[in-house]
Amino acid sequence: MHNVVIVGAGPAGLSAAIAAAAAGAPVLLIDNNPRLGGQYWRLASDAVGEQGGQHYDLATGLMLINAVKARKEITVLSGAQIWSATHKDGINTLRVIQNGVEKIINTANLVLCTGAYDRTLPFPGWDIPGVMTPGGLQSLLKGHGVLAGKRVVVAGSGPFLLPVAAGVIKAGGEVVELLEANKSNRWLLSPFVMLENIAKLKEAFYYIKTISQAKVRDRFSSAVVAAYKNSEGILESVDVAKISRNFKIKKVRNVKCDVAAVGWGFTADTSIAGALGCSQIVAKDGGVVVKTDENQQSSIAGIFVAGEITGIGGAELSMAEGVIAGISAAQFVGCKVEVLKAHRKRRAKKQRFADALIKSYPVKAGWITWLNEQTLICRCEEVSTQDLKQAISELGATDSRTAKLLTRCGMGLCQGRICGRSVVDLVASELNISPTDTDRISAANRPIISPIPLGVLAAGE
Amino acid sequence: MKNPDAIVIGAGVVGACTALSLVNAGLKVLVLDRGAVASGTTGAGEGNILVSDKEPSPELTLALRSRDAWFELNTDIGGGFELEPKGGVVISRTSTGIANLKKLSNQQAGCGIEVVELDAKGVKEIEPHLSNTVEYAVLYPQDAQCQPMLAAAQIMRAVKRRGGAFIQGENVKSINTKSRKVVGVTTEKKTYGSPIVVNATGTWAGEIAQLAGSYLPIMPRRGFILVTAPAPKIVHHKVYDADYVANVASSDADLQSSAVVEGTESGNILIGASRERVGFKSDLDVAVLRQLARQAISLFPILATIPLLRAYRGFRPYAPDHLPVIGEDANLLGLWHAAGHEGAGIGLAPATGELITAQITGGKTFMDPTAFSPKRFKQESNVAI
Amino acid sequence: MSQSNLEFTFEGQKITAISGQSVGAALLAANQRILRKTRFNENERGLFCGIGVCFDCLVVVDGVGNQRACLIEVKSGMRVQRQVGSDA
Repeated sequence: MHNVVIVGAGPAGLSAAIAAAAAGAPVLLIDNNPRLGGQYWRLASDAVGEQGGQHYDLATGLMLINAVKARKEITVLSGAQIWSATHKDGINTLRVIQNGVEKIINTANLVLCTGAYDRTLPFPGWDIPGVMTPGGLQSLLKGHGVLAGKRVVVAGSGPFLLPVAAGVIKAGGEVVELLEANKSNRWLLSPFVMLENIAKLKEAFYYIKTISQAKVRDRFSSAVVAAYKNSEGILESVDVAKISRNFKIKKVRNVKCDVAAVGWGFTADTSIAGALGCSQIVAKDGGVVVKTDENQQSSIAGIFVAGEITGIGGAELSMAEGVIAGISAAQFVGCKVEVLKAHRKRRAKKQRFADALIKSYPVKAGWITWLNEQTLICRCEEVSTQDLKQAISELGATDSRTAKLLTRCGMGLCQGRICGRSVVDLVASELNISPTDTDRISAANRPIISPIPLGVLAAGE
Repeated sequence: MKNPDAIVIGAGVVGACTALSLVNAGLKVLVLDRGAVASGTTGAGEGNILVSDKEPSPELTLALRSRDAWFELNTDIGGGFELEPKGGVVISRTSTGIANLKKLSNQQAGCGIEVVELDAKGVKEIEPHLSNTVEYAVLYPQDAQCQPMLAAAQIMRAVKRRGGAFIQGENVKSINTKSRKVVGVTTEKKTYGSPIVVNATGTWAGEIAQLAGSYLPIMPRRGFILVTAPAPKIVHHKVYDADYVANVASSDADLQSSAVVEGTESGNILIGASRERVGFKSDLDVAVLRQLARQAISLFPILATIPLLRAYRGFRPYAPDHLPVIGEDANLLGLWHAAGHEGAGIGLAPATGELITAQITGGKTFMDPTAFSPKRFKQESNVAI
Repeated sequence: MSQSNLEFTFEGQKITAISGQSVGAALLAANQRILRKTRFNENERGLFCGIGVCFDCLVVVDGVGNQRACLIEVKSGMRVQRQVGSDA
């Protein structure tokens, strides 16, 4: 029987691996981190010690991880980075680099669980050392036991800011500002869904308890709109603004801090799915995600997708989708197993919660008014707002692809992962049009998934 | 724009240069492109402006004039496209290759091309990271490079400043004629009248010619380019293996590849060059990428540690005799073609613009354009391409 | 909880790390926030996304450039330097 090949060992990938193995299929689990768990359960080394206070539900994570490790039929390839993935005549070819050596994996079936990363928006000074993402701040704590600074501002939008702020407090840091751009009562738009997911409310209150005990106020309709550096070149302070419903600045005050963790939900990393040719669509939050059917199968037979890349929805939805994807993939390789009604029900419940969350934490176009001409849009290639605007007004760019070719936006090392979405929005705003799905999807495409040394490329078959 | 004197279809580098020449000659010009500026092959170009890779021929004459025309154009429109007179270094490592290279460079020298022969020591002085296995090379100081997307965009900007009009996002659906004379074009939105239409649509020039019932056998020849992560200055000129010239001239449909390596202003190193006749097949071919990497490392061993960042592909437009098409249609008065420059489109664009403008306005041409005339193709109307 | 300490250098200075920590994390713990200077504007950059996606935290490790500090695990005796532009 062929291996079920799974990419990504976060909540979705771990769940898919266990489900496929339980169904009787041998599993190959490929992950680019040294330790299983993905971003959600980012574990530390034994020497650093498990940062229990940083995880709400470490128990579930450890259970999945230990289950994967215990099962002989699951082979794990850790520290393995896929640099290229192509599909031809029913076979998916994954080109993987592990320890500087390339490995080729050909497989008719594939389960993609490549997760997501913090979504960021540009603002003046966002490139100053000390400005980072909430995920980065949390990963330093969870995975390395390091608190990034003493006076921390946590800002942006979304429920993820709560555990990040609580984590800083538990690690002994001071959260000088906790800012949510949207209004506090937006979650009331979906009251039944909230009630259906009492466990999630319990989790929220767990964080809120930690935060309020530290006398930190969660300020709503507020955002970090600029950052400033000191003479050494590191973060010294940020401008905190009261903002309107559309994110336009109403009132500004300056706050001293050494870390500003600013994030706006998540962006799915669909690079591998896109490179294989899976159909992608634009989700309600404007992010590009992979299209799936009710069995978690993509537009390409044999390629299954689960977790954040099907739509940002959190760890529990990822696990529910992972189980279904694992079973579907096991079926594909010949196992006699069915997706149960209970699996579908669980996924539906988690999906409803995810949909409600997205409704509650929108990113409004007013962020564009925070930019000045020097504000960098593309960090890698140091392309400013002015450069991008000139490409449109002077050089005739009428879509984000042309703007990219003329300014180098998105051509740097991160290949548009950080700036891609913002460039599409900004170009559309300058042209006074709505961003098209084509624009969004093309900004997410990167056939070379990860940089590969030319020598390794040359040596491969 | 009402009643343009000329319509140019295609805002790639050739269309842009043609429009600029026409506008500079005093004509009212309308440029139409189905996409954005440089959205065709120009957007996938490396920016080569070479005299080194052409044997003495009308094409070399065109290339020599065009190279100088690029620098004049740069001054004329105020730059902004990273034009660099970096020079080309052509190497060979086989005895036959070296003999052929010597012969070719002597012939080129006879046509006014500057050539400097270099031995192992000489080439190491100007390209310190080049492999020690290179013992003979020829430096062509006249070879240059630019950023092709910026070039086309800056030229179109100048065209507009000088009274030209540019409409993006309209597809020409028909070329309208009356009594064998062109009277204009129709897009999906409007009809534009003009006695002169220039087909500068590159790899799609055959399709456009068909709209007028005409015939241009222009086919796609796919090429990939590797782009590395930004690197310190490793490659100082455009460096390529002499077998590149043979590949360009080859009619083989299979993969032809030879090492072409150069740096850019932004620090990334570009690696080419591959040629395949696979129609418009656009998916990534990893085997080709590996071959290009191998060849580049063979020339510059230090490249082994530099990461590949991205790769892109383009479809060069070529005619069966590997010469561009620059001239009036065989049958229709007022329909002009400026297309089919294979991998030399960037380099040859300004001279193409000059040559076709002179023909259109009845002025003096700087060279005999007969070799490039579309009349050289056997006229078979309604032949599927 | 065992804490095996490692030593490495950053710009010639001795830095202590706990086994399993990334170079970026260890440098941050030692209050070293500037990891590189950009190639066009020579601006300071440090850790940004923390998970290997943004490529901002580039440092030179034992002579090899373009290393993401947030991903590279500290090894005893490592020589780490700021990356200036694209130079290794």
